[in-house]
Amino acid sequence: MSELLRVSGLQVHFPIRRALGDVVRGRAASAVRAVDGIDLSIQEGEVLALVGESGSGKTTTGRVIVKLTRQTAGRVTFDGQDVTDLWGTRRLRAYRRRVQLIFQDPYETLDPKQTIHDFVAEPLEVNHIGRSAAEREVMIASALEAAGLRPAASYASRHPHELSGGQRQRVVIAGALAVGPELVVADEPVSMLDVSIRTELLRLMLDLRKERHLTYLFITHDLSIAWVIADRIAVMYLGKIMEIGPANRVISVPRHPYTAALVSVAPSPEPPAPGERAKRTILVGETPDASAIPAGCRFNTRCPLVFDRCRVEEPPLIDLGDGQSAACWLAEQATSTGGIADMLPNARRPLGLASPAAQRLASQAAL
Amino acid sequence: MTEQPIPAMLPLSPADIRGRRQWPLPKLADPNAPLLEVRDLKTHFRLGRAWVRAVDGVSFGLADGEALGIAGESACGKTTTALSMVQLLPGNGKIRGGSVELFGIDLVQKSERAMQRYRWREISMVFQGAMNALNPVIRVRDQIAEPIQYRLDQPEGAARQRAIDLLDMVGIPRKRADAYPHELSGGMRQRAMIAMALACDPAIVIGDEPTTALDVMVQAQILDLLERLRRDLGLSLILITHDLSVLAETCDRVLVMYAGRVAEEGPVRRIFTAPRHPYTRKLVGSFPNLHTDRRSLAVIQGQPPDLLTPPPGCRFAPRCDFAMPVCTEVVPPEVRFSDGVRVACHLFPTSDIATVGGSTLEGSTLGDMTQR
Repeated sequence: MSELLRVSGLQVHFPIRRALGDVVRGRAASAVRAVDGIDLSIQEGEVLALVGESGSGKTTTGRVIVKLTRQTAGRVTFDGQDVTDLWGTRRLRAYRRRVQLIFQDPYETLDPKQTIHDFVAEPLEVNHIGRSAAEREVMIASALEAAGLRPAASYASRHPHELSGGQRQRVVIAGALAVGPELVVADEPVSMLDVSIRTELLRLMLDLRKERHLTYLFITHDLSIAWVIADRIAVMYLGKIMEIGPANRVISVPRHPYTAALVSVAPSPEPPAPGERAKRTILVGETPDASAIPAGCRFNTRCPLVFDRCRVEEPPLIDLGDGQSAACWLAEQATSTGGIADMLPNARRPLGLASPAAQRLASQAAL
Repeated sequence: MTEQPIPAMLPLSPADIRGRRQWPLPKLADPNAPLLEVRDLKTHFRLGRAWVRAVDGVSFGLADGEALGIAGESACGKTTTALSMVQLLPGNGKIRGGSVELFGIDLVQKSERAMQRYRWREISMVFQGAMNALNPVIRVRDQIAEPIQYRLDQPEGAARQRAIDLLDMVGIPRKRADAYPHELSGGMRQRAMIAMALACDPAIVIGDEPTTALDVMVQAQILDLLERLRRDLGLSLILITHDLSVLAETCDRVLVMYAGRVAEEGPVRRIFTAPRHPYTRKLVGSFPNLHTDRRSLAVIQGQPPDLLTPPPGCRFAPRCDFAMPVCTEVVPPEVRFSDGVRVACHLFPTSDIATVGGSTLEGSTLGDMTQR
């Protein structure tokens, strides 16, 4: 496997306009630091999940990669070529054929007045793909069928309101597939859908990866969805990566307290016994404002394990072996079977992390 | 966050819990009647000359201090059931049969004027989209004070003070009480919605997808808050969601709905660990969780039926892996098991019930049936 995409030192800052009064008083211009220095690399054929809460910068990262937002600093390399400054060049169009984006809301992505056929045809026409109209028709039909809308002819002339939410998202996927991309950036593609439909779409996306040799950057706020689809998981908080590594390592042996907290609040298949309480680490408060990022470790205001050093010095991503890295001063000490979760206040209780099943999982991982 | 251990289920007798009320029971209330009893509720929507049978014969009860979860896919009638209870149905919706008895008083028979005595004061609701449900041009505090002032005849100052207290209780600092909705984050807005639902000290709070649009950590915070309020205020909760996993740690019982009917209902642990109805089983198997093999999720093929012309017999039959000829003809009767679960499925005929004893219950779950 070779590297398909590399993002290095990416920063995206959105300046805040100063009021006249602020200028007069000499207040410095500030900025929302949506993405504040991240490095990522995605191998060909891999699914990398970018997990984080609202305001963590995960969507902005995706938008920079598909060239919808300009970066403040940093470089993006795709297939060995620097694509950081493609703006306004011919190569941008070629790049966009190879990198496609799937948005969260299938209700808003689709034009209500456009038929399904026309939605999928548009990117082909814009990009001058296909030599004749007939060839395009074949490509449209194959994209629709690949997205699970079979037979394509029965869907092509329909309008979005005639389809269910799951079918609409399939149409969006078909539209992204039509131009034959190599990398698909999927921004919360299943969050708007019913849980029962999510599975089907996740499975579809995994199948398509094999059939069409796709690579995914999968953006989601839900760690359990990332767990289903991803090979590697990167957890973001306030514009930085807190932890990155193979999916099973990050889930079963988290080394950053933020990841461990996310794992502990993920739904568990076994409800607690009557009178018992699930062992969860619910973080207090909300993600701080990205225009006023806390000094030291940016997670220190909510971290259950915070100590003096965290308030002064920001930890770098520390390489922990096995492809796992975490940005926490305690990461290297958290070598027990449950990772740093064993150090969290709630996890010391008899049941451990979240459920007996989680413990079994953790012990298997250690073997 | 220091958490006190939660006491065993229902430590208080119903009378104790009702004793915590700040306002007296409605005049016609029967103090010995169950808190809420919904019987054979049928709510249909007029579509041209036809009726869409959104809710078609749903029955369930809710005890004092209990939390009931209602789960199902979109358009299975969960929200319609809730809206029928408070009679906030859209113009073309009509309750065409059944009863909703609160303290033994049938609310279906009440006029709109009489219903105002019960809505918000006895049954209140937390809606899904907090941004849409709150008025953007009124301060949060004043929106919450309004029902206290008008429904409970409190003077303005006292109502406002109570509103601020309520906001404090749900975790919105007093100094933020005069914020406008857009100045609050999504989680904060949902907290404000909860405070509003609690304004008139209701007996029952219905949460319609209260956490669906929120981040996972905020979702956990809100569920934790609801659980704490239930314990501290002796509330009874009904949580409606498409995400069964939300119910696992919050509810005592779960009701699974499919296409306007009850598929299965029972104690939360039984529903999760030994689902009987094929639909429940798929639903339980379809949510991603971190503790199983990650690629083994169940898929529910197909789509729910069109409720304008629902299929005869079992409505799940067209999507069911176990469908038999009888399923497409006869509506499955409801079977009650001794572990408190009731199921409407032909795999569990009424005649078998005699053979199901307490000890053989484990063996009667669907998982084992398929192995036979």
